[in-house]
Amino acid sequence: MLSIKNLNVGIAEKQILKDFNLEIKPGEIHAIMGPNGTGKSTLASTLAGKEDYEVLTGEVSFNGKNLLEMSADERAREGVFLAFQYPVEIPGVSTTNFMKAAVNAKRKHQGLEPMDAKDFLKLMKEKLALVEMNKEFTSRSINEGFSGGEKKRNEIFQMAMLEPTLCLLDETDSGLDIDALRIVANGVNQLKNKDRSFLIITHYQRLLNYIVPDYVHVMYGGKIVKSGGKELALKLEEQGYDWIKEENSELV
Amino acid sequence: MSFAENISKQFAEVSNTNVVELRKNAFTAFEKLGIPSSRHEEWKYTNIKTKLNEQLSLTPADSQVNTTVKNYIASLPPYAFRIIFLNGIFHPELSIVPDTKGLTICSLKEAFSSHTSLVERYFGKLINYNEEHFAALNTAFVNDGAFIHVQKNVAINEPIYIQYFFTASDVNAFTQTRSLAIVEEGASIQIAEDFRNASNINVQYNHVSEVFVGKNASIDIVKLQLEVSNSIGIHTLESQVERDGKFSASTITFSSPNTGTGNALIRNNATARLIGENAHADLNGLYFGKENAHIDNHILVDHVAPNCTSNQLYKGVLNDESTGVFNGKIFVRQDAQKTNAFQSSKALLLSNDASINSKPQLEIFADDVKCSHGAAVGQLDENALFYQRARGITKEEATQILTYAFAHEVIDHVHSKPIRQFLCDKLKDELKVNF
Ligand SMILES: Nc1ncnc2c1ncn2[C@@H]1O[C@H](COP(=O)(O)OP(=O)(O)O)[C@@H](O)[C@H]1O
Ligand SMILES: [Mg+2]
Repeated sequence: MLSIKNLNVGIAEKQILKDFNLEIKPGEIHAIMGPNGTGKSTLASTLAGKEDYEVLTGEVSFNGKNLLEMSADERAREGVFLAFQYPVEIPGVSTTNFMKAAVNAKRKHQGLEPMDAKDFLKLMKEKLALVEMNKEFTSRSINEGFSGGEKKRNEIFQMAMLEPTLCLLDETDSGLDIDALRIVANGVNQLKNKDRSFLIITHYQRLLNYIVPDYVHVMYGGKIVKSGGKELALKLEEQGYDWIKEENSELV
Repeated sequence: MSFAENISKQFAEVSNTNVVELRKNAFTAFEKLGIPSSRHEEWKYTNIKTKLNEQLSLTPADSQVNTTVKNYIASLPPYAFRIIFLNGIFHPELSIVPDTKGLTICSLKEAFSSHTSLVERYFGKLINYNEEHFAALNTAFVNDGAFIHVQKNVAINEPIYIQYFFTASDVNAFTQTRSLAIVEEGASIQIAEDFRNASNINVQYNHVSEVFVGKNASIDIVKLQLEVSNSIGIHTLESQVERDGKFSASTITFSSPNTGTGNALIRNNATARLIGENAHADLNGLYFGKENAHIDNHILVDHVAPNCTSNQLYKGVLNDESTGVFNGKIFVRQDAQKTNAFQSSKALLLSNDASINSKPQLEIFADDVKCSHGAAVGQLDENALFYQRARGITKEEATQILTYAFAHEVIDHVHSKPIRQFLCDKLKDELKVNF
């Protein structure tokens, strides 16, 4: 479903992703780990279509279509979802209204009528339960005054509402206490199915105790330097990134 | 005939026999002031002199009801009180004024004859004749208008909707309209003033509202300027607030697509004078400029008495080649200790050709006060746009949603629920936001 080939990406004249390659099949869960500043968010943002990132060379195909040719909003309507590392606060726009606009944008793209108000409320209620969020959150301005954990739960709530096929989670676990972590992981696990794939960017193997990945990749210096199963995450947890850095000192 | 000769000939022909002395003095004051040019400090960015027609006609035009007027009235929400003016002339047959205890609503003309002493005590009393060109001119020439009086401790909970239509067929017509509202001690009302061009030419008008807020009384006034395009409108809002009184004004300006020869100019002068302790004033504004619209807001909050508070919140959204002016003055007199006065002006420039001139002024003569002002001019937050697009919302819609959120804050301050709802719908309509 997602195929990334020799992707080179730069920002502000600086190359970040270097000949990056990754294949994700439907229903798979991939985890990407790696030290800070190595380009994980750059990868996620590039896939989501953030224009600040400049694709130098390379190809990305998503369900057979050229992802790089699509605008950010088109990608989202086609089924790509990015759970932001730093969710944005938007004063004056409630999460309810935001989701109404997003759900209906997707429906329009699929040639469907806007969802009627009753069905929409029902859908919201169902998806809120998934992340143990109170209805009251949705009438507040998006992320405004939310705690770190609430923001991340809101990301998973939005993901559940939009039912994407490719979910990119950028450090959704960072800064979460154990309860919030469990709720977020639980939400993700309930959304898992044979057609939906996940790319989970994380710093810690902690999250992977709850969400079991099919593959773990280690990213360093803008590319994947090691891939393995979930045992790789455990090794990183025990030994840190130093051995990776030593093995790949030529990359930085 | 020169401009001055023309005006003075017309003044000589005025047959109004009410407050003759006051009107004569007002005319003398206007003769001294004339129409300001852009050399005048307060009119630097609004060159009204070159915009107004050279040969102004101040005698009221006819006031035939046309289909635009009929259709618009039919589209109005069912407000309990509705008073309608065509070219400044009261139309009782279009108005709805149910008898209400403690409330008088009538035309100024009628008020001059049946509430003479009351009107004479208040009419024209808030105007600074040495500085206000257009308010002086209005006072000299105005023939009719809206009169509202609320007796002590009477609370009117339904908004009073005043509709000013302009239907002139003469391009030189410079229509004078007026409102006078007096709210006695402990009483409260909500007023909306709606200004609308119902002709098929560009109109020119000059409006003055005088508002007296008694002790512990409250007035919430909303000025609706929903079709700036195809008109030149000059507005003066003068208010005086006594001890514990509350005054709130929201001026909402939208420009519609230009269908005439292109005039689109609004000037708002709004003044709140806090003359008794613990009085409060909110002066808010929201303006949307499009095409060549020019929207100028000049605000003055005059803190005369101690322990008063005031807030100014102005927000503008400027598209195309539209221009905005914000000039907000906070004046704190020597006796006005413990004043709390705030001012915020924010403008979104959504096109490279749009511009705003923003000038906050604080003049503080007391030492124990809290005053602040902030002015921001900018574009929409790129991160907030991207966040929405990452959820599938198009860039265009994301822009509209953010603009809606930006603007909505001002509408939130309108007290009257039906008027607030009306404005909210109008805003959604304008921005094609459908939630
Ligand atoms: N807007 C930007 N301008 C300049 N450099 C940036 C910008 N965003 C990220 N970078 C740089 O790109 C590199 C990779 O950042 P990022 O993708 O956020 O790493 P990670 O998510 O792995 O911590 C870092 O060196 C960072 O400083
Ligand atoms: Mg990151």
